[in-house]
Amino acid sequence: MNGEIEEIRGTFKPELIPAETGGNIDDYEEALHVLMKFVGSMSSALEQVSGRGANAIVYQAGKRMGHEAGKLMEKTDDLEKAMGELSEILGQEFYFEMWKPSDQDSYTVEKGNETEVKLLFMDCVVRQTLRRTGLPQKGPLCYLLYGYMVGAVEEVMDIRGKLDIDHVGPNACLKTLTINWSGK
Amino acid sequence: MVKIVIDEDACVGCGSCVEDCPNDVYEMDEAKNKTKVVKVEDCMACLSCHEICPAQAMEHQDIHVAKRLYIDRSVKDAINKII
Ligand code: SF4
Ligand code: SF4
Repeated sequence: MNGEIEEIRGTFKPELIPAETGGNIDDYEEALHVLMKFVGSMSSALEQVSGRGANAIVYQAGKRMGHEAGKLMEKTDDLEKAMGELSEILGQEFYFEMWKPSDQDSYTVEKGNETEVKLLFMDCVVRQTLRRTGLPQKGPLCYLLYGYMVGAVEEVMDIRGKLDIDHVGPNACLKTLTINWSGK
Repeated sequence: MVKIVIDEDACVGCGSCVEDCPNDVYEMDEAKNKTKVVKVEDCMACLSCHEICPAQAMEHQDIHVAKRLYIDRSVKDAINKII
């Protein structure tokens, strides 16, 4: 065995749940990077095989996950409250805030049956994974997150929603969430 | 609040940042043939202008810096030893 690898030895019974995960920060970093590379390669292979259809497949997968996550949250009609709940679901790894241009009074814009709100994603594991693997943004992996967001909002607010990408950058991405109230 | 500093000596006046920014934060100063910041209050610190600028002429101060989980520290250490 490679002398540099530190082995953890102990006694184990089937019913025991480990109290600690073991390993140190470098192990986690390495594991994360391997995972990022795996996920990135899967995403690019999916795109090569299925073309633009890859986005739709991954979007649906994300949406299903979002609906499942949304079931654990309290239902609400209030968009700002829903955004707060959503940020709890997504956690620190997908840190986002509502955003508006300086000349706009409110975060929400009403358009007939629809309400629009712009979301600025500042921290995003998907973006980090794409950059780790040298892949462009707006690909299938991004659609996983869009689907997840839409699924969770639909579940929490009992509406129909969609998310569009306005702009992507290495430090933040702007998206527009559209809520369709007639889809209730 | 975000502050954007342009290094006018470095800026080559290509206008790429003006084209790229979705929030019209920059405008070309035609007399100087350099970019200028005209709407800093609408900057959302996406930093796509940093990626497109061929001269690395801008600096954004006091922004939320996204976690950079993709940096491979062993590679970075190796490069630092060479440079
Ligand atoms: S960081 Fe983004 S919003 Fe700000 S000036 Fe650059 S492109 Fe525009
Ligand atoms: S992209 Fe860079 S070099 Fe080009 S105008 Fe903007 S600041 Fe100047």
